[in-house]
Amino acid sequence: MSDVVLEKVSRHFGEFVAVNDVDLRVAQGEFVTLLGPSGCGKTTTLRMVAGLEQNTGGRISIDNEVVSDAASRVFVPSERRRLGMVFQSYAIWPHMTVFENVAYPLRVRRRPTDEIRDRVLKTLRLVEMESFAERPAPALSGGQQQRVAIARALVFEPKVLLLDEPLSNLDAKLRLQMGDEFRSIQKRLGMTTLYVTHDQAEAMALSDRVVVMDRGRIQQVGHPEEIYRYPANRTVAGFFGTPNLLTANVEACARIDGGRVRLDVVGQGWRGRCQAATEVPAGRPVTVMVRPEDIRIASNGADADGLRWSGRIAHTIFRGATRSIFVETEQGRLNVDAPAFGGYAVGDNVTVTVPQSAAWAVVDHGETVG
Amino acid sequence: MTLSADNRVSELVTAPSRSRAAARWPWSGGTPAGRFIGLTLLALLLAFLTVYPLSMLLYGSLHSTPPGAAGVFNLDGYRDIFTQRNLLVLLNTVGISLAKTVPSVFLAVFLAWILARTDTPFRGSLEVLVTLPFFIPPILTAMAWGMLGNPQVGLLNQLYQGITGSTTSPINVYSYGGVIWHMTQYAVPFLFLLIVDAFRAMDPSLEEAARMCGATRLRTFFTVTLKLMLPALTGATILSFMRGIENFESPLFFGSPANIHVITTDIYDSINQRSPPQYQYATAISFVIMALMFLIILLQWGLLRGRSFQTVTGKGYSPAVMKLGKWRWATFAFCVLFFVITVVLPVGQLLIGSFFKFFGFYEWDMLTLDHYREVFGSGEFWHGFRNTMLLGFMGATLTMGLGGIVAYISVRTRWRGRRLIDAMAWLPWMMPGIVLGVGFLWGFALLPHAIPIYGTIWALLLAYISLGTPLSVRVMSSAYAQLSFDLEECSRVHGASWLQTMQRIMIALVWPSFAVGWVLVFFGIMRELSASVLLYSVDSEVLSVVLLKLWANGNAEQVSVIGLLMMAMVIVFRWVQLRVIRKWVGAL
Repeated sequence: MSDVVLEKVSRHFGEFVAVNDVDLRVAQGEFVTLLGPSGCGKTTTLRMVAGLEQNTGGRISIDNEVVSDAASRVFVPSERRRLGMVFQSYAIWPHMTVFENVAYPLRVRRRPTDEIRDRVLKTLRLVEMESFAERPAPALSGGQQQRVAIARALVFEPKVLLLDEPLSNLDAKLRLQMGDEFRSIQKRLGMTTLYVTHDQAEAMALSDRVVVMDRGRIQQVGHPEEIYRYPANRTVAGFFGTPNLLTANVEACARIDGGRVRLDVVGQGWRGRCQAATEVPAGRPVTVMVRPEDIRIASNGADADGLRWSGRIAHTIFRGATRSIFVETEQGRLNVDAPAFGGYAVGDNVTVTVPQSAAWAVVDHGETVG
Repeated sequence: MTLSADNRVSELVTAPSRSRAAARWPWSGGTPAGRFIGLTLLALLLAFLTVYPLSMLLYGSLHSTPPGAAGVFNLDGYRDIFTQRNLLVLLNTVGISLAKTVPSVFLAVFLAWILARTDTPFRGSLEVLVTLPFFIPPILTAMAWGMLGNPQVGLLNQLYQGITGSTTSPINVYSYGGVIWHMTQYAVPFLFLLIVDAFRAMDPSLEEAARMCGATRLRTFFTVTLKLMLPALTGATILSFMRGIENFESPLFFGSPANIHVITTDIYDSINQRSPPQYQYATAISFVIMALMFLIILLQWGLLRGRSFQTVTGKGYSPAVMKLGKWRWATFAFCVLFFVITVVLPVGQLLIGSFFKFFGFYEWDMLTLDHYREVFGSGEFWHGFRNTMLLGFMGATLTMGLGGIVAYISVRTRWRGRRLIDAMAWLPWMMPGIVLGVGFLWGFALLPHAIPIYGTIWALLLAYISLGTPLSVRVMSSAYAQLSFDLEECSRVHGASWLQTMQRIMIALVWPSFAVGWVLVFFGIMRELSASVLLYSVDSEVLSVVLLKLWANGNAEQVSVIGLLMMAMVIVFRWVQLRVIRKWVGAL
């Protein structure tokens, strides 16, 4: 069982709390992503698992072995945790060749020369870099350095792989390609992986589970679809894509199947039904999240069960695959993703609708997020 | 030989700007004719400062009589070099420099590691203290150590005898050990200053990656940290080695009395101590030391070719600081000990020496203020003080001005002839102060009598400017290289003339570097002894020369007083540099 367990893990820098009571359990072979804006504590959490930083509270265990416990002052140094790590800057040593870089973990472990050569070449083949083995490290491009960094992290078959924003220094196209490649290698090797990123698209595309963090706390843990579709609060909702967040008041509440509830809400100039995770008493304010791609511009009033607004097209932006249309309603501006060549013009009066199942309400816990 | 070297340096200096500058600068600076005249004047000035003394050296080494006298051309000077005694001198020169460089590198790396990478308490203050010896004129500590480590009456030996009751003197600075020890005091802070930023600015993830790969701290230090430092370390080591070879004070004070000679003191002796002075020999052996320096520079280029690692990333990460636990007080004590030995001991000796009637006899009834009265009442001291200050201010300003112009032309323009100018400004890099002194000695003597430079303060000024120019060009080049061309171009596009651009943008942005360089050059002039001692005359004595003369007359007590005053000046200037200038530099 190569799993990573964090129990009430905290990190204080003097008064400042970087990571606050984080509980997380990563199963063997699972790909878990820590996602959040910069300064949310995700990198600190990863570095505590790596042993590069010491947690001031809580306990971390890897493979059923406690590696760091603030209460009993247990702290296993990084080099004895047997983890692989890929750094944001790749940290490829410029004074070594590609081969020497990848061979380093094996040389540290005093493996025989033959074995080192075999395993290094095998790993380089895995990342398609075997023809670069004798290249000095500074003569590599960003993508190649990234592959070498991954090879170096994989070569001694670590229990757990840690990645700190490994794709953020690559250009957009290469980022997609490397992400996919990396995910397929990870699946093939069945390696437990903890991945840190601030890019929500990357997190959704790669992960088995996503951990959304903000201000040192875990906001939500779940499958990418779940978090995208059913965010736990306004912070998480706002973090994925560019959803419309509308304030409304609850009028009625009813249980529906799937453990969710149906809410009747009323906003400024509109009313309708949406879904939520928990029961909300009537009269409470909620935030209704509606994703631009779920909104349809309707010619006639269909789907009475959902939500509808009428307004005027204020502004459109051509984005290639879609066209962003901003509809001015009484509630405010709604962002709608429409077909790129739908023939809408600024100034048109339109009605937009959303099915009940695509409107998701979250309760505001007095959060300051706008 | 020289040509290829010059090309390399100008390439080095212009490299960062080449790609961008290629297509630009059709309009830089005034009309073509004006530019030509300006460049020619600059080239002539540089030629007079660097090429002229060098060619005078060559002339002198081939000419049988002293400057100005009639004689014949021959190779006697060079023939005199090849003696058994000179082989020993050469071995001494190289051996002593090597013997001080090796331990200094270890000490400097250790200090840099302590102050940049551990949680040793008060690191900021310690860094100031540990680097202070570098800024003290060597002549001061040489004299102080001459008193401390004197085998007969030295304070350290007296203390030892007082404590153990024995009558032996374990310490004798007039020995190989003394020469090496005195050089080490300067080499350690010098090396430290050169390498500490490389330690500090390294991307910490390079080391963390090694830890994650299973390497222990120690192994990480040796396989990653130190290896990455190697290019910076090699460069610094070679520079330190060169400084050891051109060192004059240490062998003069501690070597010559013990009959240990190196090339620099040999040049000095053959002009100042032998009768008649052997000018031809002195100039010939000057070429030996320059050839030696040139070989080392070649070695440096060979070693460092393509081996500089970009380990500094843009990410503003503080490097991992190692927690030492209770050992941090041991490292703290080590730094303090270094400071005590290199600064407190010699300064303390000067302090004690200045208050007792006779150096070496420390009794209560021998306390006196007479030496202070004598020094402040002596015209010689005030004369030297005034000359040093005047030369310091003028020399530093002119040197930095010249360096700023040369660096601008070589880094930020594509003007024809800029390589030549840059190479000429670099020439004194190979010339130790004493060699340049000899070169100017000949040079001034051969000038027409209508230009009476020799024996005036201007002779010293020219020598100081020449000696300081390579440093000032280097400082200003790196300052210009860091400025993007956009800044200049943007100003032009927005309607500023070239002159306005220079004033408002370039000078405004590089002047902190100018200030840093100015202070360095000023320090350099204040401590300069080897060229001064050849070029001074009755009216143009500087403080270091006054000190040397007093010391030679056995007047150690007044030496102490003047030494303390110079110390005070050093501390004031260093304080200004740290407090004021760093703040401005930091703000940019």
